Amino acid sequence: MSEESRYSRQILLPQIGEQGQKRLAESTAAVIGCGGLGAPVLTSLALAGVGKLRLIDHDRIGLSNLNRQFLYEESELDKEKCERAADFLRRRNSGIVLETVCERLTEENAGRLLSGVDVIVDCVDRVETRRHAGRAARRLSVPLVEGGVHGFYGFVLSVLPGKSACLECVTAQEAEERGPVPAVGAVAGVIGSLQAVECMKILLGLPHVLYGRMLQYDGLYGEFTEVPVHVRPDCICQS
Amino acid sequence: MIEVRLFATFREGRDKIVYLEPEQASCPADVLDHLKIPHEEVAICLINGFHSKLSDPVKDQDVLALFPPVGGG
Ligand SMILES: [Zn+2]
Repeated sequence: MSEESRYSRQILLPQIGEQGQKRLAESTAAVIGCGGLGAPVLTSLALAGVGKLRLIDHDRIGLSNLNRQFLYEESELDKEKCERAADFLRRRNSGIVLETVCERLTEENAGRLLSGVDVIVDCVDRVETRRHAGRAARRLSVPLVEGGVHGFYGFVLSVLPGKSACLECVTAQEAEERGPVPAVGAVAGVIGSLQAVECMKILLGLPHVLYGRMLQYDGLYGEFTEVPVHVRPDCICQS
Repeated sequence: MIEVRLFATFREGRDKIVYLEPEQASCPADVLDHLKIPHEEVAICLINGFHSKLSDPVKDQDVLALFPPVGGG
């Protein structure tokens, strides 16, 4: 299979080109959470030829995942998400390396699970895991792409550790979502796709990454709002 | 005027931007009470883009942005 023709449509872009494609091929992205956001993020990065993807998810496939998590099939219920996700991706791009970590990311293992990557994509659904991921990204000095959804709403924020605002910089109080979070597949697709675009910009060294700019999406109004966010001097990311 | 920008579920049953007179609110907590938003539902509270506590002062011309948790993955 000619890898040249596989990526020809994106190599056409001045922002990518042969150089950029090589850069993507030499990059590693860690994706935490192989769910509603992880599905578009992983698929986009795999198809774009990001050389190595590390899939981190401890969860198993449930029926209520299937309204949005298109990596999985009805026949795969109860199977480990990261293994099934890797299989889905491998069948679409055999030229990239897929690492699977079927563990929940914790404070203790975050440094180990996220070491040696060029970008981290946060696709999780728990405040606590987001905190561990954010702090590990800071310790490892790796750019992080945050994303979250709730029904028809979502947001994306990229974080340049120590330099631009992290989620903890702006969090007033740790308000956890109550009960199962409402989820619309198409909205997760919008937000996850935006996260993948941010990843590509970071890996390609392109400007205008969403550092310090939280992009809010409201599917009901059909509206994007850019919210500038600033570093909080007493945030843990500034120590 | 204090400009209050609401996001995500806070918009439901309310306008997405609300203007209050400085006399109506001296801190984000007052704004929340005015809009009947339970304090514990706020995840992010920004005054002019900067992190703030619900008890921090708000004044004329400030832009307050309020967000519930949008934490699904
Ligand atoms: Zn911070």
